[in-house]
Amino acid sequence: MSALIELKDTKMVFKVRKGWFSTLDLRAVDGVSLSIGRGNTTGIVGESGSGKTTLGRVSLRLLEPTAGKVLFDGKDITEVKESNLKWFRRKAQGIFQDPYSSLNPYMTVERILEEPLVLHEIGSDREREELISKALTDVKLTPTEEFAGKYPHMLSGGQRQRVGVARSLILNPEYIVADEPVSMIDASSRVEVLSLLRGLQEKYRIGFMYITHDIATSKYFSERIAVMYLGRIVEFAEARTVIAEPLHPYTQALIAAVPDPDPSNRLHDRSVVPGEPPNPINVPSGCRFHPRCPRFMKNKCEIKEPVLREVKRVHQVACYLYD
Amino acid sequence: MSVRFREAWSEFWVSGVSKLGVAFLIALSAISIYVLASYPLDFGLRFWNNPPVWSDNPRAVPPVWTSSFVGESLVEHKTFLATEPANVTESVESRTLTYEFSIDYGYDDFPSFTSFSVSNATFYSRAPQFTLVFERPDNATLNLLREVAPAKRSEEEPPVTRWTAPPRRVYLTGDDRVASAISSFLARNFKLKLSRDQIINMHPEVPLFGLPEGENKTLSWKVLKGVYRIRVEAQLFDPRDTVGEIKYVLGGSVFGAMGTDSLGRDLAVGLLFGFPVALFIGFVTSTLTTVIGAAGGVASGYLGGKVDLLIQRAADLVYNVPLLPILIFFTFAVGHGLWVIVVVLVAFGWPGLAIIVRSMVLQVRESQFIEAARSLGASRRWIMFRHVFPQVAPFVFSQLIFYTPSAILSEAALSFLGLGDPSIPTWGQILQLGFQNGGVYVGWWWWIVPPGLLIVVTAVTFVFLALGMEPVVNPRLRRMR
Amino acid sequence: MALLQVEDLKLHYKTLRGNARAVEDVNFSIEKGETLGLVGESGCGKTSTVIAITRVLPKNIEALKGQVLLMGEDITKLPDEVFRKEVRWKKISMVFQGAMNSLNPVIRVGDQVAEPILLHEESTKNEARERVMDLLEIIGLPKEFYSRYPHELSGGMKQRIVIAMALILSPSLVILDEPTSALDVSIQAQIMNLLKSLKRKLGISMIFITHDIALASDLSDRFAVMYAGNIVEVGNAAQVLTNALHPYTQLLLASTPRLREDVTPSYIPGAPPDLVAPPTGCRFHPRCPKSFDRCSSEVPADFEPEPGHRVKCWLYGG
Repeated sequence: MSALIELKDTKMVFKVRKGWFSTLDLRAVDGVSLSIGRGNTTGIVGESGSGKTTLGRVSLRLLEPTAGKVLFDGKDITEVKESNLKWFRRKAQGIFQDPYSSLNPYMTVERILEEPLVLHEIGSDREREELISKALTDVKLTPTEEFAGKYPHMLSGGQRQRVGVARSLILNPEYIVADEPVSMIDASSRVEVLSLLRGLQEKYRIGFMYITHDIATSKYFSERIAVMYLGRIVEFAEARTVIAEPLHPYTQALIAAVPDPDPSNRLHDRSVVPGEPPNPINVPSGCRFHPRCPRFMKNKCEIKEPVLREVKRVHQVACYLYD
Repeated sequence: MSVRFREAWSEFWVSGVSKLGVAFLIALSAISIYVLASYPLDFGLRFWNNPPVWSDNPRAVPPVWTSSFVGESLVEHKTFLATEPANVTESVESRTLTYEFSIDYGYDDFPSFTSFSVSNATFYSRAPQFTLVFERPDNATLNLLREVAPAKRSEEEPPVTRWTAPPRRVYLTGDDRVASAISSFLARNFKLKLSRDQIINMHPEVPLFGLPEGENKTLSWKVLKGVYRIRVEAQLFDPRDTVGEIKYVLGGSVFGAMGTDSLGRDLAVGLLFGFPVALFIGFVTSTLTTVIGAAGGVASGYLGGKVDLLIQRAADLVYNVPLLPILIFFTFAVGHGLWVIVVVLVAFGWPGLAIIVRSMVLQVRESQFIEAARSLGASRRWIMFRHVFPQVAPFVFSQLIFYTPSAILSEAALSFLGLGDPSIPTWGQILQLGFQNGGVYVGWWWWIVPPGLLIVVTAVTFVFLALGMEPVVNPRLRRMR
Repeated sequence: MALLQVEDLKLHYKTLRGNARAVEDVNFSIEKGETLGLVGESGCGKTSTVIAITRVLPKNIEALKGQVLLMGEDITKLPDEVFRKEVRWKKISMVFQGAMNSLNPVIRVGDQVAEPILLHEESTKNEARERVMDLLEIIGLPKEFYSRYPHELSGGMKQRIVIAMALILSPSLVILDEPTSALDVSIQAQIMNLLKSLKRKLGISMIFITHDIALASDLSDRFAVMYAGNIVEVGNAAQVLTNALHPYTQLLLASTPRLREDVTPSYIPGAPPDLVAPPTGCRFHPRCPKSFDRCSSEVPADFEPEPGHRVKCWLYGG
C-alpha cells in the first residue's frame, strides 16, 4: 500500500531580486524526501528559515516544486495544472497558523464552513447544513446553531482556530497539513486543540503533517519527527526517540532551549546555540549548521554536506559525528 | 441567501439616518417617475429650448407665492385668448370683428410687459387690419397700434393664410407705435411731456396702467386700479375672411411655482425635469465608474503580471491625458449629448478608484484566509469575488455613493464650459445660467437657490444611504445585541 | 520594605455591554532583586494590572482604585506630570508585547535607546552615546550596532535593543510583557539567558508576564497566578511549581506539555468567563473539578497554608 503522501527529493527555490537585473536563489527547501502514511502524523520541527512552511505548501501543491516529486496516493501531482487538481484539493487540506487572519472576517462561521462544500458541489442545502453541524460538533463548538451565525471577530483565538480545523475537516480529507496550528493560542489551551486533532485523526484515519517550532507539542502530536534546518532534514526518527536521544547537535540545542516548569531553571543558564538562524539566501558550505555547531570538526564539516542516513533502527541523522 | 438579505436589511434599517436617506430617495425617484411618465422624453427640445413655449412668459420674475411675503399684491401673469369676437359690425366694404378682454386690475405693481398676438389670418383679396384699443378705468382710451397682415403676392392663390406658425406677435413693451400713442396721450390728458424713447425706457406699462404724480424730477407713478378693457378690432374685407386666435398677454411680476429665468422659461418645469436627469447622471456615471474601477483594481491587484501592467498603464494614460482638450474634441467630433458627458466622466473617473483598490487588494492578497481558500480548491475568479472583493467592498460602496453628487456637479461644471447638453435642462445648467446672468448680484434668489438646494438634497440623500449601508457592509460596525 | 507593593488594585473598563471587571482585588509585592512571574491565560487581566501600575491607560476606564507603593510611596496619588517625569521609565520601565515591531524604522537604534536619557536627564549627546554603547555590550550586542537601523537587525537583536531601552535609565523595576513570544525557540533561550545575567549583574527587579508557565519558570523567583481578574495563587517558584494549591494552577501545570517527562498533558475544559458578568462567588468555580457549594455563592478569601504561599480558594480554610 502506497504512502498517503510522498515527497521525493523535493526542492523549492525562490528567486529574490537583488539590484536591477540580478536575482539570488533562496533555497527554501533543498532536497527533502519524506512520506506520511494514512492515520499517521509526522512532525516537522524547525525555526524560521528552516523551510518547514514551504515544505507544507509544496506537499499541498500550493507551490509547484522546482525539482523533485510530490506523490499523493501513488499519483504524481508534481506538475499537474491547478485546474486538474480539484480532486486532490478535496482530499488534502490545510490548517493555518494565524487564527486572526485565516478566516474571512466578512463571512459567518456557517458560510466559512459551507464554502468548501459549495466549491466542490457537495450535497444539497439540507445535507450541507448537517455536514456543517457535524463539523462544528467535531471541534466542540456547541451549541452549533449559536456558533454558526457568528462572525470571526466575535470568537476567541482558540475558538477561531477550531473553526479553521472544522473547515479543513468538512470535506473529509485524507491528508491535512497543520502549519503552526497552536502557536498563537495560550500554552494552556494548546493541548485542547491538539487532542482534538488526535481524536479526529483516529476517527477518520487522517494523515497529518504537523509543522511547528515547538518540539514539546510535537512530542504530543507526532509519531515521528523530522527536524529541519535551512531546507534539509537533519534528523528523523520516532518522536520519543528524537526527544529522549537526540543525535544531531541542532536537535540537542532545540531541546535544551525549551523549558519544562521547574523551579531550578532560573538558577542556571540554558545551553544555547550561538548566533541567529541563518538566511536561506546564504547557505553555508558543507554542513549547513557548521558555523554554529558546538561539535564542529574542522576540515570535515565545512567541506561536503553530510547525507541523511540511518544510524540506528528507524533513526536517521545527517551528521559526520555518526559516520 | 435570503436569510442574509433579511439580516442585511434589518441591519440597514436600524439607524434613523438610513430611514431618512431612503425616504429622500423614494421622494426623488417618485418625482422622477412622474416626470418621465407625464412628459415626453424629448421634453428638452420641446419645452425647454423652444422659444414659442415661453416667449410670452415674464422674464426673471419670482414665483407666485412670493406675493404673500412681500406684502404687496404682485401682478399675476395673465394670458387672454379669444377665438370668437364679442361683436361684429358690418359696413359696406368691410366687416369688423371686435374682440374684447377685460382685466380687473387690483395689483399694487405694474405688469412686467404686455404683448399681443394674432394667428391664422385668412383672406381672399385685401389683407385684414388689426387695431388695438386700450381703455382705462378713468375712461381714457388710447389707440395703441394698427397692424396689417402682409398683402397677397402675385404668385399666391387665394385664400391666403398669414401668421400660422409662428403667429404675429407684437411685444408692446418695446413697440415704437405704442410709445408714440402713449406720448400723445400723456400730453393730451395730463399735460405731461415725455418723448417716445423716454417712455420705452421706463416701460410703457407704467404710464398705461398708472397715474402720474408730481412733475419732472419728482415724477412718480401710482398704479391705477380698476377695470381695463382691451379691444382688438379686426377689419376684414371679404365675407370669407377669417381670423384664428387673438391673444393678449399681461406680463406678471410673478409667475409659476418657481419663477422664471431671464429667457422667461418656467423654472418649475426646468427643475422638475432636472430630477430624472440628475438621478440618471448620478447613478449611471457613478455606477459605471465604480464597477469599472473596482473590477480593474481587483483584477490588477490579485492577478498581477500582464493584467496588472495593462491596467496600470491604462490608468497612467488617463491621468496624463488632459481632460479638457479631450472633452472638447469629443464634443466637437460626436456632438453635445448626455451620453458624451457620462462616457467622458466615467473614462476619467475609473483610474482613481482602480489604483486605490489595487493597493488594498495587494495587502489582502497576503492574508491567510486567501491561502486557505486556495487550498480548498477555489479558482482565481472565486477568490476574487468571494474573498477579495468583500474586503474592498465597504470602500467601494462608499465611493459609489459619494461619487453620485460629485457626478452631478461635474456635469454642471462641464455645462458651464459649454460642453454640456443644452437640449436637456439640468440643475447644474440652471444654476450656471443663473450665475452667468448675474442672478446673484441682482438678487434673483428663485433662480439660484432652488437648483443649488436640490443638488445638496440629492447629495445628502446619498450620504445618508452610505452611512446606513456601513454596518451592513462592515460586520464589525454592527451593534452588538 | 518591599520594592513594589500592590494593594487592592481594581480596574474596570467601560464596554458596550457594560462594565468589564478586568482587575479585581489584586494584591502582591516584589522584593528588591526579585522576579515575579505573572502567569495566566489571555484576557485574565495580567496586562491590565500592569497598565494600571504604569498608568498607561486607555480612554474607556470606568474605575481605577487601589494603592501601588513604590519603596513605600503611593504612586497612584502622584499627579500625572510628576508620574511621567519621575516614575515612568526612571523608576519603572516596560517592555511591551510586540515592542520590537514598534521601533521607529527611520531612526538609528542607538539613538532610540539614547532618547530616554535626553528626555529625562541633563546629558550631552556624547555622554548619552557612551552610556548606550556600554549598555549594548552588557546586553550582548557589538558597540557598532549603535548606528544600525531596525530593519538591519534580526528579531532577537531588536528585542535586545528594546530591553536596552527599558534599562537605560537604570530603573528599579522592569516589567516585561511576553517579551519572547514572537521569537524562535533558540533565540528565546538566548534572551532568557540575557535576562538571567542582567538579573545577576545589575540586580534589577522584574515582573515577567506570560501565558506560558514553563517559560516563566526560567526566570521567576516568585509566581502570581491570575484568573479572570483575580490573583488566585502567590508563592515562590518551588511552592507554586511543585506544590500548586489552587485547582486552576494545578490544571495549568497539567496542561503544559512536558518535554522531559512522560506525562500526557490534560487541558482545562470550558472557556474563561465574561468579565462583564463574571460568575458569582469564585470566578473559577464553573470549570473547577473540586468546587463545592460555597464556591458558587461566596468570593473566596485569601488563605496562607504555608508562609509566603497564598491561595484564594475555599479548600484551604474558612
